[in-house]
Amino acid sequence: MTASTLLAAVGFGIVTASILAVAGVGFTLQFGVTNILNLAYGDIMTASAFVAYLVTNAGLSVWLALVAGAAFGSAFSVLLNRFIYTPFVRHGTRLFGMIIVSIAVSLILQNALLAIFGANFFSLQMPRPSSVHIAGMVFTTVQLAIIAIALAAMLLIHLLLRYSKLGKAMRATATDPELARNCGIATDRVIDLTWALSGALCGLAGVVLVMNVTAFTDTTGSQFLIPIVAVAVLGGIGQPYGAMLGALVIGITSEVAAAVFSPQYKDVVAFVILVIVLLARPQGILSEVATRKEVAA
Amino acid sequence: MSVAWQFYISTVLIYLGVDIIACWGLNLQFGVAGLVNFAYIIFQAAGAYTAAVLTLGPAVPPSKGGFQTYVGGAHWPFPLPILAAGLVGGALAAVVGIIGIRRLRSDYEAMVMLVVSLIATSVAINQVRLVNGPNGLALVPKPLASLVNLSPIGYQWLFVGLTAVVCVCVYWLVHVVTSSPLGRTLRAVRDNEPAASALGKNVTGLRMLAFVLGGVIAGISGAILVEFISAWSPGSWLYAETFVYFTAIIVGGSGNNFGVMVGALLVPVAFLEATRFIPQFGPPGLIDALQWIIVGVLALVFLWFWPRGVIPERRRRFPTATAGDRRRLALLPPRTGR
Repeated sequence: MTASTLLAAVGFGIVTASILAVAGVGFTLQFGVTNILNLAYGDIMTASAFVAYLVTNAGLSVWLALVAGAAFGSAFSVLLNRFIYTPFVRHGTRLFGMIIVSIAVSLILQNALLAIFGANFFSLQMPRPSSVHIAGMVFTTVQLAIIAIALAAMLLIHLLLRYSKLGKAMRATATDPELARNCGIATDRVIDLTWALSGALCGLAGVVLVMNVTAFTDTTGSQFLIPIVAVAVLGGIGQPYGAMLGALVIGITSEVAAAVFSPQYKDVVAFVILVIVLLARPQGILSEVATRKEVAA
Repeated sequence: MSVAWQFYISTVLIYLGVDIIACWGLNLQFGVAGLVNFAYIIFQAAGAYTAAVLTLGPAVPPSKGGFQTYVGGAHWPFPLPILAAGLVGGALAAVVGIIGIRRLRSDYEAMVMLVVSLIATSVAINQVRLVNGPNGLALVPKPLASLVNLSPIGYQWLFVGLTAVVCVCVYWLVHVVTSSPLGRTLRAVRDNEPAASALGKNVTGLRMLAFVLGGVIAGISGAILVEFISAWSPGSWLYAETFVYFTAIIVGGSGNNFGVMVGALLVPVAFLEATRFIPQFGPPGLIDALQWIIVGVLALVFLWFWPRGVIPERRRRFPTATAGDRRRLALLPPRTGR
């Protein structure tokens, strides 16, 4: 284990953290505001990646593919909520039932992609990347683009949540939907817009995820789901800034663990962090971080 | 009946038996005790690996022509590997239960279990020396095959009988548990945990008991399956398989042993076997994909139209409750959401 391999691992970690941050912030907003644990999130990422694949295959640029992926993720999430999740909630399906519903959606979506595209490996058509040395770490231009996209997305989310009325309404709905409604916030519209926003982040994350790998399949997104959930839970559900921090922690530790031990244990880090946090602070992570957040904000 | 049909029908019957046993175990955990165990399949897997290893005999090192590595091989005579599988399933459930059975909101509990399932798969694949990694175990000798001198088809029917005997034993176990005061207490814990706790019931202990019993039953179902198909690998127990059992329980009627049996007949057997008869079309893997889509749609349709299943759990009435009792009961906290 030399210093240079460690540094390289940290570099990889920053790239992974960027992808995790985009996905994790979307997931935490979605779960925090709507209170629906959407286990189909990873599969929506994959579906968006396939949309991006179709766009680049049509000879259009990868930037357009990013926009198309985000737009698809956004539209799909809104429709999924409008036509599946909300009707089930209004029908009286509760926590456990909603998990079955979201796993069913995940299985249907994943296998529909398998049926449409087949069990092959796919990759986005992109201009050949060159490599860049920064502070002893080597990045490809694609990886730098991913980091830049993630930073831009995080900045936009920050501005939106802090300075727009919608952001305020979202934070209010996440904290206490009843009280928010009583204060005259149209929570239904806020929830719809949350699905649109978090869906866009989900789609964007799906595209940047497959930009970073050489090949993807119908399960690429769902394999990424547990690290995303870990990021959201570590940061506190409904806490976008917590998710950003969680993404950095999990992204870098998992890549360093992969370098120090063996690549097979990359995901195990996220698994273990998730299980420990869930068991040690089941409801605590929500309330405590939330109250501390109030002071900091 | 032609030999081919006999083979087919006996095979389906054995799968049906295994699925029924597995569904009863999960029903004990989920339907009766309200535990959202999305790691159920790992207890079946643990049982299957145990039975396989205890039947295969000591591992042959690759230098002597062995092709699979595993720990703790032995040649145990017939019923012992299955019993050991039950014990291992139960022991693993005890370990997972101590870590995972907390008073979590049920979607968090489901998530913890889902992650446990993924970790278990990852360990089984990456620790190749444990149970031969991604290739899994193969060529597990069939039980009693060397003792009884039967034609292949005769052996098939012998195995059907054996599965039926185990089914009856497991039914007896789950029936005794669910129809006894213990079962009533478990349902009370499921429906209103604070009330059960206030009446002095050891809620955590009861949940743990249901979890371990379910683990034992899952282990036994895995043992029978592996003794029959003689191979077992990580591909046989992905987390989505647990979803199939949950769907079977929802379709049949959660909390009702007979309903769950019907669910096992309908979902894993009728739906997934029926597709064998449609002619192959499309690229390979298309039919598998469509099967999963059908299972997903089935779960959604039943949750929407018949959330209590085709044979719902019997509503139990207790005549002693007076109007005053009911008023007092109404003051208790509402049932915790599932």
